[in-house]
Order: sequence, then structure tokens, then C-alpha cells
Amino acid sequence: MGTILKVVDNSGAKLVACIQAVKGKKGARLGDTIIASVKEAQPRGKVKKGDVVRGVVVRAAMQRGRCDGSEIRFDDNAVVLVNKEGEPIGTRVFGPVPHELRKKKHVKILTLAEHIA
Amino acid sequence: MRLEKCWFCSSTIYPGHGIQFVRNDATIFRFCRSKCHKNFKMKRNPRKVKWTKAYRRLHGKDMTKDLTFEFERKRNRPERYDRNTTEETLKAIKKISKIRVEREAAHHKDRMKGKKSKDYKEAKKEIEQNSGLLGVKVSEPLSKVKVPVSQSQKDQIHAMEE
Repeated sequence: MGTILKVVDNSGAKLVACIQAVKGKKGARLGDTIIASVKEAQPRGKVKKGDVVRGVVVRAAMQRGRCDGSEIRFDDNAVVLVNKEGEPIGTRVFGPVPHELRKKKHVKILTLAEHIA
Repeated sequence: MRLEKCWFCSSTIYPGHGIQFVRNDATIFRFCRSKCHKNFKMKRNPRKVKWTKAYRRLHGKDMTKDLTFEFERKRNRPERYDRNTTEETLKAIKKISKIRVEREAAHHKDRMKGKKSKDYKEAKKEIEQNSGLLGVKVSEPLSKVKVPVSQSQKDQIHAMEE
């Protein structure tokens, strides 16, 4: 909580700060959904500074175990903004995303993604 | 199931092992164990770290060009299962690995060819340079000394051998 995450879609937000994880009190990890406040946003975007939004963590520098027992780690902490139903607000997703999102039922993000790791 | 190679040490990564790091330009770096991952994080060059395959290949320590390496290849189309082919493949794997081990041994032997004489030369030089430390004068180069052996001793040795 309090983590500043990069927003990697074209929703208009640039940076968000995590307020809480949607499930569990221990914070969020790769693939989890968070509630965040927009800290920095582009003008005339879909969201503006100060908005409280939901987002899916698509990249995390902290490693996360995969189903086969190996681990995966990314360069930065990044998030894709979604609405309450879990559909992405933006229409594009930048950078690599993990295939674990399919298990979390975020297939829309996967189809928009440039690279799937 | 695919067996990947470690980015740092080039060893095989079996499923469920190691960690992969995805850079923001979507390049994937796979590591077989935390040792390799840590070395990567320290920004070490695998070509300069002595225990990696890259170093050994670069410095002629390992066999690089061999026909036995040609069999290991990335195949993107899965083979259709055939009992006979599988059986033959399994047989061939054993055969190939055996041949490879033999060739590697030969390569090592070839590499170590001049080692003994070189070691001897260096030792001799050391003795000559530091003869003062020994307390005895080494005026002439060391040569084989014949030690007289009595007949009874010779018989004993002979008996022991038998």
C-alpha cells in the first residue's frame, strides 16, 4: 500500500498510488486487483488527478511463483486501469504482461497486450 | 514442455526450476538458479566469469564444434508420436551421449598434452632460482639416480606383484 505504480494503458492516468488490495489485507502482487488514487494524469484523459480507480497489476518487480514452480519478475511495477466489472478503461496496453492474467479472467488485457511473457 | 537454457551459465533449465526476468522491452532472461540470477543482477559478463559455459567455450576449454551438438535443436512443431521412432530415438540418445563423453575426454587429453613437460620445466626453474633456500648446492641438473637393490629385495617385490 502506498506504492506508486506506472499506468501502462491509454486511459490518461500516468501514475497511481495503491490505496488497498481488493482481496486480502497483505497488499497486492502480480495479477491482483488494487484500488488506487490517480497521482498524475494527462489533460483530457478518461480519468483525472484525484480519482479513485481500480487497476490490475500487470508487472511487478517482486517475483511471483508460477504454476510449474518457477518464478517470474519484471522490471517495474505497472498497472492497467479497469472498471468495477474488470474491463479495461483504456484501449491499448503497453509492454509485456504475464500469461497468468488469463487465470484471473483478464482476457481482454491479454488480447490488447503487445507481448505476453 | 520445453527445456530452456540459462542465460548466464547456459545450463539446461528443467520445468519448475529457476526464475525468469522480463525486461520492459519484453526480452526474457531465464536463470537456472539464484546464483546465476545474482550474478546477472551484479551486471557480470558471463564471458568473463570462469565457471560459465560461455567462458569455457571462448577460451577453448570445452569442445565447441562437434556433430553431437547438432542433434539438440529447438523444434517448434511437435512431433507426432510414433512408437518405433521414439524407441529408436531413446536408443540414439544413449549412443550419442556416450560418443560425446568420449570425444570430450579426447579433447581434454589433447588440451593437456604439453602440461607435464611444462610443469617439470617450471619446477626445475624454481629449484634453480631458489637453490639457496634448500641448503644444498644444486650445481648440476637433477637426473635419475640408480639405487642399488639387493637380490632378496628384488625377489620380495616380485613376490608382492604376484
